[in-house]
Amino acid sequence: MSLDPETVAAFVDGELDDLTARRIEREAATDAALAAEIARHRAVKSRLAAHYAPIAEEAVPDRLRSLLAVDDKVDTSLADRRDARRTRFGAIHWGAIAASLVLGLTIGLRPWMPIADVASEGGTLVAAGPLAEALDMQLASSQPGDAAVRIGVSFQDKAGRYCRTFESASIDGIGCRESERWQLERTLRGQARGAYRQASSGELAAVAATMMAGEPLDGAAEQAARDAGWDHSR
Amino acid sequence: MRFEEELVELLPRLRRFARGLARHASDADDLCQAAIERALKSRDQWQQGTRLDSWMYRITRNLWIDERRAAGRRGVQTPIDDKVVQIAGQGAAEVEAGALRGDVDGAMARLPDEQREVVMLILVEGYAYREAADILEVPIGTVTSRLARGRETLMFYLREAA
Repeated sequence: MSLDPETVAAFVDGELDDLTARRIEREAATDAALAAEIARHRAVKSRLAAHYAPIAEEAVPDRLRSLLAVDDKVDTSLADRRDARRTRFGAIHWGAIAASLVLGLTIGLRPWMPIADVASEGGTLVAAGPLAEALDMQLASSQPGDAAVRIGVSFQDKAGRYCRTFESASIDGIGCRESERWQLERTLRGQARGAYRQASSGELAAVAATMMAGEPLDGAAEQAARDAGWDHSR
Repeated sequence: MRFEEELVELLPRLRRFARGLARHASDADDLCQAAIERALKSRDQWQQGTRLDSWMYRITRNLWIDERRAAGRRGVQTPIDDKVVQIAGQGAAEVEAGALRGDVDGAMARLPDEQREVVMLILVEGYAYREAADILEVPIGTVTSRLARGRETLMFYLREAA
């Protein structure tokens, strides 16, 4: 069967009612063309999201922030003003510390990588860029041998979330799908190759085993989960 | 929470939206600045209990449209559109797509304004179709058709290397 492009788009954007969405999911499981079309839509969407995400992580320039600086008009006493000021700077201060921690951590993870594989959203490390794309799209069963990001096992954790282990030159880890993004639950510095790589895979597999509810996904389940957008509620 | 504090929280997302519209970082921040100033001036028009984010996005987008129209009248900005591609034919489009492969900014720049704003609101900012229609003050059908056209163009320019 063929669906019009707007319906496929609405499916990917989560705009369809549950019943219709489930019907399309079922069809995608047996209709390769439809599955490919859904994947194509998802790829563009995650591409855009990954491209623009870092902008929202930048520090807001002072010239904008200062327009909204909290003024002291309502304060009556000097003590109140001092308190207000202290609290305010306190907040900014902590924000700056948190930001530099995230930055330091990110730099530590990928010192030589110009493309952000990792971003911070609301204090949570999430996959971005090519890593997010690989977690979104790549199937362990069909990934090329020289893929920049290698997907290991995919599984559902005890909370039902889909999680996937991955390895790349800059970062290894486990990403779990939550709120339409891949939260990085475990990260290790990427171990290029050789004996270290083995050690890292073993460690990740061990961690994955403790997180897993039931068995890892087999090839068919992995593909079905991907085609459903890694949404465990569906 | 105070109006200003809510606005401060919105700023990171608003900057992202503005960057998608205005492309250049400094233009985008100019746009944000104008939007904040406008919001502070017309804060009485915002109704407590309604969504401040939608209101701010609408202000930002309307200011951007005004600016684009003014620039258009001055003849400053010639939007990059598909006319060149159409004249040069499909072969040129292929060449261009090859040159642009992976360049999200370049692909977005090829969208007409009314498609770019819909793409930003829905695919990047994550608004529902209904919410985007409210922000843009157009019927939902207009949103879906603009989104479909914008998406096709993006998929063409950003498609995977065969």
